[in-house]
Amino acid sequence: MIEAHELTKRYGDKTAVDGISFTIAPGSVTGFLGPNGAGKSTTMRMIMGLDRPTTGTVTVNGKPYAKHRSPLSEAGALLDAKAMHPGRTARSHLRTMAATHNIPAARVDEVIEMTGLSTVAGRRVGGFSLGMGQRLGIASAMLGDPRTLILDEPVNGLDPEGVQWVRRLVRSLADQGRTVFLSSHLMSEMAQTADQLLVIGRGRILAAGPVQEVIDSVSGATVRVRAPRAGELAALVPAGGVTVSSPKPGTLELRGIDAAQVGEIAGAHGITLHELSPRNASLEEAYMSLTQDSVEYRSDSSFAAKGANR
Amino acid sequence: MSTTVTAPAPVRTPSPRPVLPARPSFVGVLRGEWIKLLSLRSTWWILAVTIALITGISLAVAYSLDAMAADPAQASSLATTNGADVVSGGFQLGMVSVSVLGALLITGEYSTGMIRSTLAAVPTRVPVLAAKAIAVAVLTVAVSAVSIAVSYLVTMPQLGTYDLVPALDQARTWQVFGGTVFFLVAAALFALGVGTLLRSSAGAITVALTVLLLLPGILSFIRVGWVETIVDYLPLPAAGAFLGGNQGSLSSAGSGLTATTGVLVVAAYALVPLVAGAVVMRRRDA
Repeated sequence: MIEAHELTKRYGDKTAVDGISFTIAPGSVTGFLGPNGAGKSTTMRMIMGLDRPTTGTVTVNGKPYAKHRSPLSEAGALLDAKAMHPGRTARSHLRTMAATHNIPAARVDEVIEMTGLSTVAGRRVGGFSLGMGQRLGIASAMLGDPRTLILDEPVNGLDPEGVQWVRRLVRSLADQGRTVFLSSHLMSEMAQTADQLLVIGRGRILAAGPVQEVIDSVSGATVRVRAPRAGELAALVPAGGVTVSSPKPGTLELRGIDAAQVGEIAGAHGITLHELSPRNASLEEAYMSLTQDSVEYRSDSSFAAKGANR
Repeated sequence: MSTTVTAPAPVRTPSPRPVLPARPSFVGVLRGEWIKLLSLRSTWWILAVTIALITGISLAVAYSLDAMAADPAQASSLATTNGADVVSGGFQLGMVSVSVLGALLITGEYSTGMIRSTLAAVPTRVPVLAAKAIAVAVLTVAVSAVSIAVSYLVTMPQLGTYDLVPALDQARTWQVFGGTVFFLVAAALFALGVGTLLRSSAGAITVALTVLLLLPGILSFIRVGWVETIVDYLPLPAAGAFLGGNQGSLSSAGSGLTATTGVLVVAAYALVPLVAGAVVMRRRDA
């Protein structure tokens, strides 16, 4: 369980995270989605007690991370793939972390095996590929068998087999009742991995909830119609709550009406249809429209705020 | 054909209490820092270089006694030369390498990003710095003791020629050896403290070596009262006060301090940057 309340982080006059509040529930995989520079990594560093919030609070399993008696048992984090000394072997890196919590050596071997690093555990980290670094970072995060996992871009640099492995891993961890919070800018990855979404743009939460709900809330389903008499059909569609656009001649995209209704109208007026297809907005479309809005919203609001102050 | 596929309901077990035995302790943090130190090749290189420098210089000093003996003008300084000073004669170069060790212990973590793993494991932070200080102090004591022991052995034949082999039953001998070890530990801790404050390897090593090595040499040319007072309170001249620097020995800088004041000044150089580093480390973003 991760709870943030009015969490804000400013660096000089740049606001990286702007008063966000959210709750990440245990037992599910929550995706933290946003473009680069949106504040994902800053938020995760604040959760792990590495960066101090300018204002606001964030707790892990009910307490600020640093206040836990056994921090690595509460939360494990992969914050960036290279949070390790390149001159140390993978096993030594894990041993230094395990020692602080008196975690037995058997657990070090366990996470090495779990992350598929057995054959390279004795090699120095400096020679690791990005993917191997990610696996070692995940091994470090898993070391304390934590109740909460925080993974920043975990699939970054992984090969397809590794991506599958991360997906299965986070799923099984969530099914065990743990809290899994992972960030990504890969929307398609989120669609396959996450149950819940937290969308962030320019330091603000833009949307939160189950994946499908977030997508639906942004852009409802559309109906695509191809008809020789498209213009006639567009005029017949009831005006209230329906938006009609025509990306090219003979083609309509209707929002706020379902395919059956469009078919009824066409049939009643004898309009021939060449295509009638319902389309669900993809995560990418939802994401683009969300973050686009955030840009517009931001500039508008700052303008409005200035005007109001005068 | 209509087949209804029902996805099996995911099994939700209650949040598991950690079954893994994980009990953080300061001893554990100390063990972690110890593993960190010993698991880097650079540490072993620095240790080897330290021993080589200290014994190499002491051997060279021992053989320069031949030249002193041959030159009538220097015969008097040969008479006042203390064998213990010859044995520990290479400590100034040893100081350079142990301060690099001390600085890298913390700046290496900042430059590589390891610090984020370290502070995630020990979010209260200050125990990490305390453990680093203890680990580097223990290692410095070990490497200085080994260096002096090796120096003692390799210079013994040459010092024997002039009847200068330091007597191990003499307090003076142990004051020099003990003082040398103490000074090297202080140099390593000073560099660790400066490294914690600056977080940059190049910056920390530059500052540490400037204060430890360069300033005493450069400022000693300035014959102005207050500058001479400053020089007295720099680490190396202050160490001269308790290393009992006689004329002719490498540690002599004509210190104006008493031995006790010298010890306190050197201790302050070790502790003040460390305490300041701890305060800053607690507050700063990692």
